[in-house]
Amino acid sequence: MSKTTLQFLLLGLILVLAQVIVFNHICLFNVAVPMVFIYLIFRLPITLSLNWTLTVSFFLGLIVDIFSDTYGMNAVACTVVAMLKHPVLRLYVPREEDLTRPEPSMLSLGVAVYMKYLLTMTVIYCTLIFIIEAFTFFNPLQLVLRIVFSTILSMIIMLGIDSLMTSRSEKRL
Amino acid sequence: MSELLKFLVRYSSWFLFILYLIAGSVLLFSGNPFQHHVYLTSANELSSGLYRATNSVSSYFFLKEINEDLQRRNSDLELEIYRLNDVIRDYKEQAMADTMTVDSALTRYHFIIAHVINNSINRAHNYITIEKGRLDGVEPEMGVMDQNGIVGIVNVVGDHTARLISVLNPYLRLSCKVKGHDQVGSLVWDGQDPSEAVLEELPKHSEFMPGDTIVTSGYSSVFPEGVPVGTVVSSTRDMEDNFYTLRVKLFTDFSTLSTVRVIRDNMRDELVTVEKELEIKNIN
Repeated sequence: MSKTTLQFLLLGLILVLAQVIVFNHICLFNVAVPMVFIYLIFRLPITLSLNWTLTVSFFLGLIVDIFSDTYGMNAVACTVVAMLKHPVLRLYVPREEDLTRPEPSMLSLGVAVYMKYLLTMTVIYCTLIFIIEAFTFFNPLQLVLRIVFSTILSMIIMLGIDSLMTSRSEKRL
Repeated sequence: MSELLKFLVRYSSWFLFILYLIAGSVLLFSGNPFQHHVYLTSANELSSGLYRATNSVSSYFFLKEINEDLQRRNSDLELEIYRLNDVIRDYKEQAMADTMTVDSALTRYHFIIAHVINNSINRAHNYITIEKGRLDGVEPEMGVMDQNGIVGIVNVVGDHTARLISVLNPYLRLSCKVKGHDQVGSLVWDGQDPSEAVLEELPKHSEFMPGDTIVTSGYSSVFPEGVPVGTVVSSTRDMEDNFYTLRVKLFTDFSTLSTVRVIRDNMRDELVTVEKELEIKNIN
């Protein structure tokens, strides 16, 4: 098992634990729920085959589902997000050869592009999750508020995790 | 054949995508939470172990509020005891009957005390995990309450853990009534506010005031009659509608849930057999 694989496994473990122990219980102003574990899907190297990306995402979603009793909701949303990862990335980076490293990060994409990528993916994910929830209670205003504020909160936390990760890798360099 | 293989390999990601999507959707739309498999819920060994560990730390956080609730409930019960003692004395004086006091082992309901190890309030379907299971006598479709009021109904049971459907879950509909009256309505959560639920289908000749207490009706073996639920906040009634809809402020604070009581009805088996026999008779 290579060092990168091990690193991603560790990151996945930490993110899932953080999500189910801490972030699942946060709900600011009854609208904003942070979705943080999807950061792993965003960070998966683009050199990884689509089959593997889909598999990792599906099981990541399923594990979070099991812990939070959402029964398939996150698994479906994660699979869709994994499928949309390359198209979204291609939207902002026309030539993948321009990337300096295989993983999408602030270093390899630049701050602006990376932020746009992160935002697009988070918006897609939050929209999916809350629309699935809206099958039960349809309340348009609450739906929009939940999507917007959950996206903002998730973005802030993910950028926080990002700064922790990059400072560590810079030290290693 | 080789063309087919090539086709399959070329579009393998799409097949995989559709496969995962179908697998997820089957879970998602499986509907009835009573049919959830124990391994796919938070009542399984791994997740309940994790939640037990985190709960051993976080259970200290709300002790003050819980203590206050208990004190208040305790004082209410003491008052109730004084009142009932008076009533009993009156009856005794009236009848002077040579009745025996009922032993507690012969009462219909028993409580199983359990700790909540996982709980959510911010989803559309909320569930609660507790650390008592089949080996402690917990079974599906048992009612659960805490020191303030109703909490939910057990639906998936593991050996040492169980998962409840919270009152904050639209799958749960409970038959409730206004305390002191007999008209029954159906309590359900509308997904808006974790501290409020809605009592629907209350007949239009019902009498109530804002502030009245709502209690369970006892029309099933899940909850005994008179378990506190909440107080009436407001009511609505459509012109052509024959029913009232009441907003109910719940007594239970789901954000600080810690110790709950699972209600074991000793007459449940008997009730179930009787109902089954009736059904068979009706079919024949």
